[in-house]
Amino acid sequence: MEGTATAAAQAVGHSPFALLPDQVDELLRSLGTLNVNGEPYGANRFVLTNYTFFMLLALVLLGIVFFFAVKKLSLVPHNRLSNGVEAMADFVRNDIAASQIGHGSDKYFPFLATVFFFILFNNILGLIPGCKPGTGTMGVTVALSTLVFGVFNAVGFKEQGFFGYLKSFAPKGVPFPINLLVWAIEVLSAFLRVLTLSVRLFANMYAGHIILGIFAILTALFTEPLIAAIRTGSGLGGAALGALPSILWIALMTALYAMEVLVAVLQAYVFTLLSAVYIGIAAHEH
Amino acid sequence: MNVIGYGLAVIGASLAIGMAGGKAAEATARQPEVAGRVFTLFILAAAFAEALALLGFVLALIVK
Repeated sequence: MEGTATAAAQAVGHSPFALLPDQVDELLRSLGTLNVNGEPYGANRFVLTNYTFFMLLALVLLGIVFFFAVKKLSLVPHNRLSNGVEAMADFVRNDIAASQIGHGSDKYFPFLATVFFFILFNNILGLIPGCKPGTGTMGVTVALSTLVFGVFNAVGFKEQGFFGYLKSFAPKGVPFPINLLVWAIEVLSAFLRVLTLSVRLFANMYAGHIILGIFAILTALFTEPLIAAIRTGSGLGGAALGALPSILWIALMTALYAMEVLVAVLQAYVFTLLSAVYIGIAAHEH
Repeated sequence: MNVIGYGLAVIGASLAIGMAGGKAAEATARQPEVAGRVFTLFILAAAFAEALALLGFVLALIVK
């Protein structure tokens, strides 16, 4: 999204929409994986990509927030930060872990809370203009979902035994040949969970940022006549007429931004919820 | 062509989320005491359906 303002400024004079395709191309390029200094990503040497940089930044922020939240622990916390973090952790423990896994869910609470807060901080950091979500690239989300895959399989093998867990994929009370077929489909779908979990998170963040960026470009284009009218001091009627669409666009942009905040929290919730569902399926015999 | 593909991908997801939302509202109206669990189920169903639409969106952008 950087550089759209200057590009829009250059567009004054002729049709403001002439530069739109270039700006959209620039937006898509800026959302790709680049080196942290903006150069094209080279896979031949070890570099920090833009997404990795913001992921590390989110991790540092996460560390700072939690350090101060648990610094002075007391039975009745009077610290506002501690209360907020406690409320969120409580939400993960009761509404996600306990409701989906059932008994013995406290064993898996630390893992789920880690995943939840990691995704939440990444998503929220990505909404700050100029920053990127660490979860907006396939590399990070596939790593996360592979971790979840490893964890729920480990839980299944540990809780139900090696053959018990393998057998638990087959439905009960189904005659022999269909039984085997359903087992194969279930095992395949368990492997597909890696893909669906990661693509859901990645696509939500990536698509959300493309939509936000395109609407930011359009808002800049539509606000440009208003700024020009105010600057040249042309008649009040002209300025009011020019202001009408731009105010609508700014309102729309604000509404979209609010929706993206909702999506950022919701996706952290959904990812953790599905992890809990998978762990719950693996942990208990059905 | 990409845009048409994305539109096609969205039809299914929009129908699914609409159905899920309508049924969730109906279930909450019939039995308000399970509103919390119905909401969780709705979010899960909407997330599953939405992923398909987003898959179409990302493919429409990536495949030139």
